[in-house]
Amino acid sequence: MGKQTLDISPVGRVEGDLDVRVEIADGYVVNAWTHAELFRGFEIILRGKDPQAGLIVTPRICGICGGSHLTSASWALDTAWGTEVPRNAILARNLGQIVETIQSIPRYFYGLFAIDLTNKNYRSSRFYDEAVRRFSAFTGKSYELGVTISAKPVEIYALLGGQWPHSSYMVPGGVMCAPTLTDITRAWAILEYFRTNWLEPVWLGCSLERYEEIQTYDDFMNWLDEDIKHRESDLGFYWRMGLDIGLDKYGAGVGRYVTWGYLAHEDRYQKPTIEGRNAAMIMKSGVYDSFTDTHTLMDQSFARENLTHSWYDEGTTDIHPSDRTTKPIANNTKDFDNAYSWASAVLHKDFGRLEAGPLARQLVAGGNHGESWQHHDGFILDVFKKMGGANIHVRQLARLHEIVKLYRQAEHCLREFKLNDPWYIKPTEKDGKGWGATEAARGALCHWVDIEGGKIKNYQVIAPGTWNIGPRDGQDKRGPIEEALVGTPIEDPTDPVEVGHVARSFDSCLVCTVHAHDAKTGEELARFRTA
Amino acid sequence: MTNVLWLQGGACSGNTMSFLNAEEPTVCDLISDFGINVLWHPSLGLELGNNLQTLLWDCILGKVPLDILVFEGSVVNAPNGTGEWNRFADRPMKDWLIDLAQAASFIVAVGDCATWGGIPAMSPNPSESQGLQFLKRQEGGFLGKDFRAKSGLPVINIPGCPAHPDWITQILVAIATGRIGDIALDELNRPQTFFNTFTQTGCTRNVHFAYKATTAEFGQRKGCLFYDLGCRGPMTHSSCNRILWNRVSSKTRAGMPCLGCTEPEFPFFDLKPGTVFKTQTVMGVPKELPPGVNKKDYALLTMVAKDAAPPWAEEDFFTV
Repeated sequence: MGKQTLDISPVGRVEGDLDVRVEIADGYVVNAWTHAELFRGFEIILRGKDPQAGLIVTPRICGICGGSHLTSASWALDTAWGTEVPRNAILARNLGQIVETIQSIPRYFYGLFAIDLTNKNYRSSRFYDEAVRRFSAFTGKSYELGVTISAKPVEIYALLGGQWPHSSYMVPGGVMCAPTLTDITRAWAILEYFRTNWLEPVWLGCSLERYEEIQTYDDFMNWLDEDIKHRESDLGFYWRMGLDIGLDKYGAGVGRYVTWGYLAHEDRYQKPTIEGRNAAMIMKSGVYDSFTDTHTLMDQSFARENLTHSWYDEGTTDIHPSDRTTKPIANNTKDFDNAYSWASAVLHKDFGRLEAGPLARQLVAGGNHGESWQHHDGFILDVFKKMGGANIHVRQLARLHEIVKLYRQAEHCLREFKLNDPWYIKPTEKDGKGWGATEAARGALCHWVDIEGGKIKNYQVIAPGTWNIGPRDGQDKRGPIEEALVGTPIEDPTDPVEVGHVARSFDSCLVCTVHAHDAKTGEELARFRTA
Repeated sequence: MTNVLWLQGGACSGNTMSFLNAEEPTVCDLISDFGINVLWHPSLGLELGNNLQTLLWDCILGKVPLDILVFEGSVVNAPNGTGEWNRFADRPMKDWLIDLAQAASFIVAVGDCATWGGIPAMSPNPSESQGLQFLKRQEGGFLGKDFRAKSGLPVINIPGCPAHPDWITQILVAIATGRIGDIALDELNRPQTFFNTFTQTGCTRNVHFAYKATTAEFGQRKGCLFYDLGCRGPMTHSSCNRILWNRVSSKTRAGMPCLGCTEPEFPFFDLKPGTVFKTQTVMGVPKELPPGVNKKDYALLTMVAKDAAPPWAEEDFFTV
């Protein structure tokens, strides 16, 4: 959220300010550049430190997805040390990750995205007055409830880890906590409160069970027509208004999508290895190529980074992230023909640039690849195909769709805990290389750790923002957000809210500043923050 | 109305996220019931238009009263003191800070990065980060030792990684309701009301601390985390076990050692090899003792406490 955000790549993928430069011609964006504007140097800080330093340091890369960083950091050490992770600990890690993401959904939707629906550009929409009533910052009826109730799910995180954000309760070999019946009961009650006070009555307008019957785009549209409560729920209202104002018409992007998969199955990843990870995740990994309509598994060895357009002195060839040395150059002058960002361009060795995030996860969830027991859900893939590909609206729907299935996964964790079984098995520290990954609310996140002589030799992070925000790559191909911006219609060049929608639809974890230029005259038309 | 401008430097937004968890009052209540007017915030600000720079200049020029400047994140000076590695609205953030600091009635540093430099300032501090008025325990920081805001107060430090939401909201409310005069600051300019007691104050493991019964490894329901797992609860000033986190718990209650994150030295020992989640000892005795306790008395106390310890001190205490 906020953006803030952050995120970050191994090196400067940081939350802070992302600048976007767009060029506009004849009412449309014809070119765009995104650049991250803050460098803190986490990879540099971690060199030479205690092997477990990443458990404390990496959550502070991003306070929005701190639990996701902690998850990646602990699995990375588990694979490096060859630990055994007890079943309860896998469930406790998953539950933390799940409630952090559930928290993020209303906080992001109301706090960051829906505010824009009250922009004066939409005054002519028949939905406008109601949007103002619901979504106005601080005072909107839904805004106030949604932003406030978003604090509830992370109370469950605090029951496990003591606090949210920034606990480090996940450690190689398991978790630090050993919850009691009281903790589990309270967690159930908090989930129920969230469901009965917001999720069902306000967000869906129906029961979780009714929502779960939706399998296709037709099912969804039928659900809308079925009951006034569905149409008038925040989800139903948002969907109808978005179609009315054309959010389904732009913001496509690169057309290829990545997820590492996440939520290790409690019985299948107790002896974690890098190689064994894909077959042990409840939500499967994968790459979806919409041009050929094919799904393939994703593997850490397929990742590459290119620094041609980034402020680092590390060459211009594609390299594997674990081979990076993170050498920032002091002079970070913006030069749109050369280096213009602290973010790197992340690629797949065969598919090139990929979009990360909830849309990517849900498009992959619709594939028939992977293990037969893994979670499968074809809804968003069907919507995507019926709409003719990606756009802002389906990207939002994917994010919002996940809340119900994550709620079910949280219930699963609470049901499966065996309170008298172990939560931690003390590991033996040793040298070695590890890799850990998960899916943060906003997409694919992973950490590489290399331990030598009892200390960190190299630590590298690729965050979802890095996939999406990255600048042009070695072939001068635009990154996902840069590409998604091209073709955006601009109603009012002095207030290009549409650019804000596109940038925010990626929930890019960055505070973006948008500069709009006239492509013909070069004159700056407007500048505004997108988060 | 009390105007609040919230900016971020080398930040992770953890304090913003924490702030949004506030319950009594909630962030929305703060605005509707306590007369706080958020001029702008990176995540919540509404200016979709252009006007952020104008707004900042209006604050600097006194056209818009800047009652409270809240800063989150470190002040980034890299490279070579220019601050270009953290640009905001086309200018190094530190340059905005210099101008805004002159205009603000009160300045509140929220979280460790803004107070002491925090994790970005860990060795080797690649971003040349500082806190607003401190770097670690050394007074001065970015604005200098003698800096005073227009109210006459130094930067009010609300440390923590992150700061607890109540610590933030209560200070904002105190200023907005004219009660800030009631709030005493300690030698690190932290509000004493939150930082005079120890993290240990109210910890559910205190009885184990008293009888020297240890939690030898993670995932247990007994013992104190101070003796083996590096807990800094006895030496750290915070109210984490009085004003609970997310209404329900605290790190030490949940079985996580306190990392001392409200103190300027956090992260302690720069996280050098062997220092993470391990108590530093000499001949089996913790190197660092609770403040004000001398080694000799501590050794005596240990002997007596171990002799007096009831059998239950070594058994599972918090059973399922």
